[in-house]
Amino acid sequence: MPQVPSVNGAALRGPGPIDIALTVNGNAVSARVPPRRTLLDTLRESLGLTGSKRVCDEGTCGACTVIVDDRPVYSCMTLAVACEGKRVETIEGLAKDGELHPVQRAFVDADAFQCGFCTPGQIMSIVALLRATPAPSEADVRRAVAGNLCRCGAYPNIVAAGVSAGRRRK
Amino acid sequence: MNAFSYARPTALADALRRLRSGAVALAGGTDLLGLMKDGLVRPDTLVDLTGIEGLRGWSRERGKGLRIGALTPLIELEGNPQLGQLMPILREALRDAATVQLRTMGTVGGNLLQRNRCWYFRDEGTPCWLKGGTRCFAVDGENRYHAIIGARECVMVSPSDLVPALVAYDAEISLASSRGRRHMKLADLFVAPHGRERREHALRPGELITEIRIPEAALARKGTYQKAMDRKAWSFALVSVAAAARIERGVARDVRVVLGGIAPIPWRVAAAEKGLEGSELDEAACADAAERVLAGATPLRDNGYKLTLARELVRRALRSLVAA
Amino acid sequence: MPRVVKSREEFEGEVYESLVLVEGRDLPLLDGGERTEIGHERRRVDGTARVTGRARYTQDVYLPAMLFVRVLRSPYPRARVRRIDTKKAEALAGVRGVLHRFNAPKAAFRGEDTIFREEVRFVGDEVAAVAADDEDTAAEALRLIEVDYELLPHVVDLEEAIGDVAPRLETDGNVAEASTHKRGDVRKAMKEADAVVEATYRTSTQIHNSLETHGAVASWDGEVLTVFESTQHVFGVRQGLKMALKLPFSKIRVVCDYMGGGFGSKGGVGKYSIIASLFAMELGRPARCILTRDEENLAAGNRSATLQQIRIAGKGREITAIEHTSWANVGQGKWVANPTGPTNTLYDVANVSSKSYKVVTNAGALSAFRAPGYVEGTFALECAVDELAERLGIDPIALRRKHAGSPKDPLSGKRYSDKHLLECYRIGAEEIGWRRRRNGGMRGSAPHRHRGLGMATQIWGGGGGPPAYATVHLNPDGTVVLTAGTQDIGTGTRTVLAQICADELGVDLADVHVRIGDTENPYGPISAGSVTLASVGPAVRIAARDAREQLLGAAAGVLETPAGELRIDGGVVVSKGARTPLSEILGKVENNTVIGKGARHPNDPELSQRTFGAHFAEVEVDLRTGEITVEHIVAVHDIGRIVNPLTARSQVEGGVLQALGFALTEERFVDRATGRVMNGNLENYKVPTVKDVPTKITVKFVDRPDRRANNLGVKGLGEPPIIPTAAAIANAVANATGARIRHAPLTRARVLDALAVAEARS
Ligand SMILES: Cc1cc2nc3c(=O)[nH]c(=O)nc-3n(C[C@H](O)[C@H](O)[C@H](O)COP(=O)(O)OP(=O)(O)OC[C@H]3O[C@@H](n4cnc5c(N)ncnc54)[C@H](O)[C@@H]3O)c2cc1C
Ligand code: SF4
Ligand code: FES
Ligand code: FES
Repeated sequence: MPQVPSVNGAALRGPGPIDIALTVNGNAVSARVPPRRTLLDTLRESLGLTGSKRVCDEGTCGACTVIVDDRPVYSCMTLAVACEGKRVETIEGLAKDGELHPVQRAFVDADAFQCGFCTPGQIMSIVALLRATPAPSEADVRRAVAGNLCRCGAYPNIVAAGVSAGRRRK
Repeated sequence: MNAFSYARPTALADALRRLRSGAVALAGGTDLLGLMKDGLVRPDTLVDLTGIEGLRGWSRERGKGLRIGALTPLIELEGNPQLGQLMPILREALRDAATVQLRTMGTVGGNLLQRNRCWYFRDEGTPCWLKGGTRCFAVDGENRYHAIIGARECVMVSPSDLVPALVAYDAEISLASSRGRRHMKLADLFVAPHGRERREHALRPGELITEIRIPEAALARKGTYQKAMDRKAWSFALVSVAAAARIERGVARDVRVVLGGIAPIPWRVAAAEKGLEGSELDEAACADAAERVLAGATPLRDNGYKLTLARELVRRALRSLVAA
Repeated sequence: MPRVVKSREEFEGEVYESLVLVEGRDLPLLDGGERTEIGHERRRVDGTARVTGRARYTQDVYLPAMLFVRVLRSPYPRARVRRIDTKKAEALAGVRGVLHRFNAPKAAFRGEDTIFREEVRFVGDEVAAVAADDEDTAAEALRLIEVDYELLPHVVDLEEAIGDVAPRLETDGNVAEASTHKRGDVRKAMKEADAVVEATYRTSTQIHNSLETHGAVASWDGEVLTVFESTQHVFGVRQGLKMALKLPFSKIRVVCDYMGGGFGSKGGVGKYSIIASLFAMELGRPARCILTRDEENLAAGNRSATLQQIRIAGKGREITAIEHTSWANVGQGKWVANPTGPTNTLYDVANVSSKSYKVVTNAGALSAFRAPGYVEGTFALECAVDELAERLGIDPIALRRKHAGSPKDPLSGKRYSDKHLLECYRIGAEEIGWRRRRNGGMRGSAPHRHRGLGMATQIWGGGGGPPAYATVHLNPDGTVVLTAGTQDIGTGTRTVLAQICADELGVDLADVHVRIGDTENPYGPISAGSVTLASVGPAVRIAARDAREQLLGAAAGVLETPAGELRIDGGVVVSKGARTPLSEILGKVENNTVIGKGARHPNDPELSQRTFGAHFAEVEVDLRTGEITVEHIVAVHDIGRIVNPLTARSQVEGGVLQALGFALTEERFVDRATGRVMNGNLENYKVPTVKDVPTKITVKFVDRPDRRANNLGVKGLGEPPIIPTAAAIANAVANATGARIRHAPLTRARVLDALAVAEARS
């Protein structure tokens, strides 16, 4: 553990708007937001990425799930300023050159959504799962999306989509 | 959330200096941001601890037990295969705690220090006793999730899944502040709010938890964690039980039984544990221990069911220590 | 020539008669032949938009210079707003406007002439609104508004409100009779019965919790007000805005492109839409008012809690009489969903007497919630039928079968357009393995775990009807634009309408582009009451047929072949020996648009259109912890022709899962002393997670076109699958454990209590 007291210490930023630099879907971007602004609101309001949804804004639904440094997190409970220097991935970054990501494809094929409002979050959770577990079981998928509520009740198809996306990628 | 300034130091001393002047520590933010959004905490400055070197990760030195950095994400305790070997109860306890996302974001230290989930407490518009008001609204109100035992002025319950498991392994914590360091038993961190103690944790202002230690002797224990929820995932425990013991030639030694979700602190009854010392954890002994652990329970209007649940989970947890 | 006709439709348990405008002639029933699209599994046509984040929901509408509006809500269940001081709020940098009862213009809203009441009547009632440059500022400003409240006595609990000591909230009391029905002689039948079961059932308040909260974004260009709103009925919102703002229809446009669930609660204009519109018109900047999750749970509707008393009598192997009295907590609602509906209509029982009371309290108003009334009523009725079967010592299905086969609606005396309920029983019993059912249940996976089987029946409307219109535009390149004023609330409306259009027109599904959710489109009904497909689908078919006929005319001219010798198939005009793509034909005619029009024609007024179904449940119960695990649900429905088996199955699974929440975990808690909702969030209001899903859900359809319903033979499916599940589960739990739990949801506390009672008895 470092024992040397730092002389100046880390800069104190805010409370007004500050410039922050982020990497979102592989692109270096910047935004001018106060420290209290969440990653979710920054994506939606400053960066125009409205795919991540705001449903509860308090870590109780999963609709705002994005991937930060390869791990799924709730962007509504994450400060944007705390993501500086990290890699943020959102639903908008999955499809490449008009080709859907295998998980997106699997969702369409399995009819894994109804209103679609939870869908971006569900998909991001499963994309993160597949990075660690390329061929997940049903139980693996259930564990991964247990933090993503779906009020329409598309769960059976979501689980099927997650399993088949794993198979498809192999 | 109110407007605040933000700093992300890399040195512990830098963080401690800021905390001394009233800044609030931010780890994963999963509890703190919730409190801030509800208007219950309105800090001027947040000190983000996640950039501080050396507070993350775990290590084991033979003979010196297990050390876990306070900033270690919960998901690591759950998912690390070596830790799973060393202390399987961690995985069991965390498996049904919150969600993958919250365990990815949430840290060990933050989990120990999370505030209670009493819905009157979390409602900014209810000026209850714990928040400086004159009375507890839950005692005569909606109290199905509240305490059945060990409560005084405030009937909130200890919410963590990790805490009972750690307490069952005699965990200790290290604290640091700009004034210096101290150590204490994890169990002593928790306060049942009463009298002038309108708080849940014995942390001093400006103090950080830096690490959690499990003594070597405790690592020899077998442990199990049982949790009852009112849906099958993403719920705080209605009742949870961590049980641990060293099983020697079929009899139990150093038995620990720690309950979550039923009292304002992780609930332990020394007499019940002593009563099991040297027992084979047979049905009768386990049922008897369950009675002792819960002796004196006084359920409120809506939470009598917790008593039934707690008895059964204690029995099950203890029995499973001797199951094949 | 359009003409006016009389129409009779059922909507959410009530029958309405109205005059509607139709044009042309209806088409005969789609015949039984094989189709390219209808009857086949098709992926959603808007799937790509939904999985890429591109689908634009109301919440995603950000307009330049837009203001963020937040609403100050009453912290008290009942109080008089005496004074409001907004000076500090207005002084906050970034605040652009504040509205409250002392400065807001009069605006008609649900029978009142203001949106900010003098006497606020529930925690969450609107007191003031702030518009600011960003949301944090608006939220901060709310904290600075000072309100002087005079507190008044209140009551929030249903049973307390019925009692004598509660404050009277309306001059004529808190309880009002809403509907009654009587047939036969109940008293005599009760006297002569072999067995009479008398029981009290309760259901708790369920909250919709659509993931997209209610909300609107309004913009005013000095001429036209455009409102983006998350709604199930764009035309209903337009009507509400016209009333509130006194603008003509021509100056209001309402748009709902994608919406994140409504489940009945998004049926019309909300105060948020009016508030956003007022700010937009006053300040000349677009304004956005989107509810937070807390607000959603306070002020955006709920399914009423009910108290229901049932007496049901049996003689021999039959039900001889049912008496059903229901009280429903409608909060500050002005209507009541009728829980006695199923009792009045489901079974052909000679002697029935029912009464439904509306009870007002100081809580948020009810709003329609997926089969309103029928979910609550079916829980009580179908549990009671099982209790009677047990007393009579007969199999629960055998008892029901006696009364479920009648081809006539016992309430109206009219014949059903179609009915295959007994077939549902047969299929369901087979699928669940009903033969295994034993009194006292079956052994489970451990000695302290018991298994049981249960079932329950469903009746609901869903026949749809006029008015509903559609147009089909053909572009010169052969692509098709189908336009209708309906909305897709997650049921797959875009997809099934495109399938119908493609089939009737003879083009590829991929070439049909569907435009809905806009008041610039031809009128469409509310997407509720399970009426959307049965209302709009037949109009789409007529519009597509109209377009096809015009096309054939064009093709005849271009190909110089009589139209009668041509047909269209897969986007190609087929004549003897030649195949010419549509685009080629239309390309030959310069800059044309072919427009087909269609209107929904009335239903046969002599018939009663109903949907039927039955759910079967297998559960395992841990007798020591009270934990219920639902192992298998079999859902069988008779809803006419199935247009898309893939999306239909999803719809049923979704209904079952919402019902599972109602049955096991979902329940609003209100503190009686303060009137505050304790769990107006997704932490403690427990909707099912993926792990709560039953191990297996089997979905079956009778899948026979209802030949007398409409030109497609379709009926609705939105609501039927949420109706019978809870009773089926409760009946299975009773079978497994001998413990009868008469209060939904069946929580731990209730299960453990009932188990203790059952144990004490045995
Ligand atoms: C919806 C939901 C469900 C949940 N369900 C469960 C559950 O089932 N079981 C369970 O156990 N938990 C549950 N949690 C709680 C969750 O595990 C905790 O919020 C999390 O562990 C807190 O860690 P954090 O790092 O995010 O803490 P933060 O939110 O960052 O901090 C929490 C508090 O601790 C302080 N703090 C943090 N780290 C330190 C430190 N090292 N030293 C001193 N002070 C510190 C902060 O100042 C703050 O006061 C749930 C949370 C949510 C939102
Ligand atoms: S239990 Fe404690 S936190 Fe909850 S209302 Fe009572 S005093 Fe407040
Ligand atoms: S919006 Fe972030 S978890 Fe609900
Ligand atoms: S698809 Fe509507 S919430 Fe999941």
